[in-house]
Amino acid sequence: MEIRTTLFNEIAEKEIRNPYARAFLKAMPAAIAARRKTVMGSFPDPDAAQACGQAIRAEVVAWLPELLEEFEKNALARGAKILWARDAGEANEMVLAIAKERNVTYVTKGKSMVTEEIGLNDALAESGIEPFETDLGEFIAQQLKRPPFHIVGPAINVPVEEVCDLFMEKAGMEKPTTDPVELGYAARLFLRDKFHHVALGVTGVNMAVAETGTIINLENEGNIRFNKSSPRTQVSIMSLEKVVPTMEDAMHLTRLLSRNCTGQAISAYVSMDSGPKKPGEIDGPEELFIIIVDNGRSEIYADSVAREALRCIRCGGCLNICPVYAKIGGYPYGWAYSGPMGQVLTPLLLGLDRTQDLYRACTLCGSCREVCPAGVDHPSMFLYYRSKDVEEDRGLRGKKRPWKESRFFDLWSRAVTHSALWNLGFRLARPLVNRYSHSGVITRMGGYFEGWFRTRNLPAIAKETFHERWKRLRRETAPGGQNGRKGKP
Amino acid sequence: MKIASLFIPCIVDLFLPEIGEATVQVLRRLGVDPLYHKAQTCCGQPAMNAGYRDQAKKAAKHFIDVFGDDDVIVSPSGSCVYMVKHHYPELLSDEPVWLQRAEEVSKRIFELSQYIVDILGIEELGASFNGAVTYHESCHILRGLGVSDQPKRLIQKADGVKFVSLPLADMCCGFGGEFAETYDYISEEMVKEKVGCYLESGADLLVLCEPGCLLNIGGYLSRNHPEKKALHIANFLAGTGGVG
Repeated sequence: MEIRTTLFNEIAEKEIRNPYARAFLKAMPAAIAARRKTVMGSFPDPDAAQACGQAIRAEVVAWLPELLEEFEKNALARGAKILWARDAGEANEMVLAIAKERNVTYVTKGKSMVTEEIGLNDALAESGIEPFETDLGEFIAQQLKRPPFHIVGPAINVPVEEVCDLFMEKAGMEKPTTDPVELGYAARLFLRDKFHHVALGVTGVNMAVAETGTIINLENEGNIRFNKSSPRTQVSIMSLEKVVPTMEDAMHLTRLLSRNCTGQAISAYVSMDSGPKKPGEIDGPEELFIIIVDNGRSEIYADSVAREALRCIRCGGCLNICPVYAKIGGYPYGWAYSGPMGQVLTPLLLGLDRTQDLYRACTLCGSCREVCPAGVDHPSMFLYYRSKDVEEDRGLRGKKRPWKESRFFDLWSRAVTHSALWNLGFRLARPLVNRYSHSGVITRMGGYFEGWFRTRNLPAIAKETFHERWKRLRRETAPGGQNGRKGKP
Repeated sequence: MKIASLFIPCIVDLFLPEIGEATVQVLRRLGVDPLYHKAQTCCGQPAMNAGYRDQAKKAAKHFIDVFGDDDVIVSPSGSCVYMVKHHYPELLSDEPVWLQRAEEVSKRIFELSQYIVDILGIEELGASFNGAVTYHESCHILRGLGVSDQPKRLIQKADGVKFVSLPLADMCCGFGGEFAETYDYISEEMVKEKVGCYLESGADLLVLCEPGCLLNIGGYLSRNHPEKKALHIANFLAGTGGVG
C-alpha cells in the first residue's frame, strides 16, 4: 500500500471540498456515534463496562510477551501452525510460500487492517496470485485502488453510480443499476463463485485468546466466515497486540467492540477458531496458519509511553467522534489506519519524520479519549510524539523542527520566567501587531499569522493589557475605596 | 474576607483584558478579594502543545514559584487550569520536590465558574440579560475538568434569560491554539459549523468560559456575522462587554 502520509494537507484540502465525502461525513459518523451511545446504554453500568475494557487492554500491554507465548502454546496444542513475522516483508513471504506450495492462483480475503499495513495485496499480485477482497466495501476500495476511507466503511464515500460502473466493468454485472440490493446481489454472485473454488483464505484477527489458543473474528457480512470455512487452508494474520488473556476478557471486548464499531450490541457474525478441522468435524479448514506480525511493535513496546498505542482494538469509535475526521475523511491520513487511531499508530510504525501532520492536525479536544474502550489517551500520545519530534529522538525518528520555531520557544522560555521581560515583549509586539488594526479590529496580517485571518478577525492588542490595568483596578474596584491586595511584583 | 489569587491567561492579558476586569468585578461582588501577582506570565500551554517540554517545564516552575503560597487560584480559562492540574505533575514527575509542589498547586486552582458554584456555593449573582442565551462546552472545560453544569446554572439563574440548548454543544470549535493557524482550512470548517449551530439555536447570545474559543468563535462572528455576539461568562455575569 502506497504511503502518502506526507501529503496530508494536499489530500485534506482536496477532500474538504469533495461533495460526496462531505455528504457522507455530515451524516454517518455522527449517526454511528449516536447509535453507539444508545447501545452502550444497554450495559447495566456503561462506565464500568468501558473501564473494564480499558483494564483488559492495560493488562494486555503489561503482559504482552507472556500472553503471546501462552497463546502460541495453546494454539499449537490445538493443531494451528504459528509463524512469527518480524516485518511486513517476512509476513508477505510467508503467505506467498504457503500459497505457492499449494499452487493456488488466487486467494479470498476478509477485511484485515494488518494486511493493508503490510501491503499483502500488492505482494500477492506481484507474484501472480490474485487477491479478492470479499468485504463489500473493501472489494470496492480494492477495485478502485483506493485506501480505506473509514475502518468500518472503507468505500462508504464512493457514489453509487461509480459502484455501478465498477461492477459492470469488473464484477460481471450485466445491467446498470443504482439499487443497493441489486448491486449487493451482483457482488455476491461474483464473490460466491470465488469462494466456491477457493483453496486459500486469508483473514485478519480481532482477538487471539491466550488461555485457549482461539482466534475470534467479528463481522456483519458473513464473508469472513466463508473465508475461514470454504478453503482447505486458512491463513489468519494478526498484529501481536491482538492477544487477550482469557475467553471471558474476549467476550467482554466483543461486546465493547461491536458497540463502539457499529453501534450494535453484537455483530451479525462472531466466529471462533480453535485450531483446524478435527477428525469427525464436518467443516473448517484442514490446516490453519496464524501469522503473528511484529513490524516494529517490539521496538514500540520497549518505550513505556509509546506502548500505550498497543491498547487499540481497531473499533473505529474514535473516527466517528473526531471533529477533524468529520471534515476531511479517511484519505488524508495516508495509510492503512485513519482518524485518531491512525494518528496514534502510524507515527510509531512509520516514524515521526514522515507523519508530521498526523500528530499535529489535532486540537486536543479529547473526544476520542472519552469514547475509547481500550483506554488510549490520544491527546497525550500526540503531545508525546510532538515532544519526541522536537527532541529529534532517534528511536522514533524525530525530525528537526524549523529554526524559527525552536528559536521562538527558546526566547519564549527565557521571558516566561521573568515577568519584566515578558511584559516588555508584549509592549514591543503591540505597535507591530496593531499597525494592521482598524478601529480595534485586525482583519488581515501577512506572514506567520496569515492562516488565522483566512476566516476570522482578531482584536487588536489592548492599549492597556490586564497587567497594565491592574494598578488602577486594584484601587478603583476595591470595596470601600481602599486599596486592594497587592500580589507578588 | 476570602482571598483568591488570579491567574490571567496571555490571551486575556493581551487581547481580551475586559475578561480579566470582569473577573475582578464578579469576585468582588461575591465578597472575594482578588489578588494579582504581577510576577505571573504564562502557564506554558503553547510550549507544551508544540512539543517543547523543557520550555514548558520552565513556565511550570515559574508558575509554581509565583502561586505556590496561595490557598485558592482562580482563572477565567479552563485550558490553563487543565494545564496546571493535569500537565504540571506529568512534566515534573521526575523531580520529587517540584512534583509535590505541582500536586499541591493543582489541588488549589479552579476555573472561574467552577470556583463560584462549587467552592463559593453561589449560583445567583444578580446578573441579567433579556433574551435567549446558549452555552458552548469548551473541550478542556468539559472533558478536561468535567465542568459543564456550573456555567449553565450561572447563566440560567440570571434575570431575564431564556436558556436554549446549543446543537452539538460539546463539539470542538476548531481553535486548538496553533492548529487554527497551521490547519486553517480545517479550523475554518469547524468554526463555521460551530457558528452554524449557534445560529440554529436561535439564541441572541453565546456564552462560553474559554478565552481561546472566544477568540476563535468571536473572530469568526466579527468577520461573518457581526450582528451576533459571543461573550465570556465573566463579562456575562458582570454585565459588561455589551451586556446589561
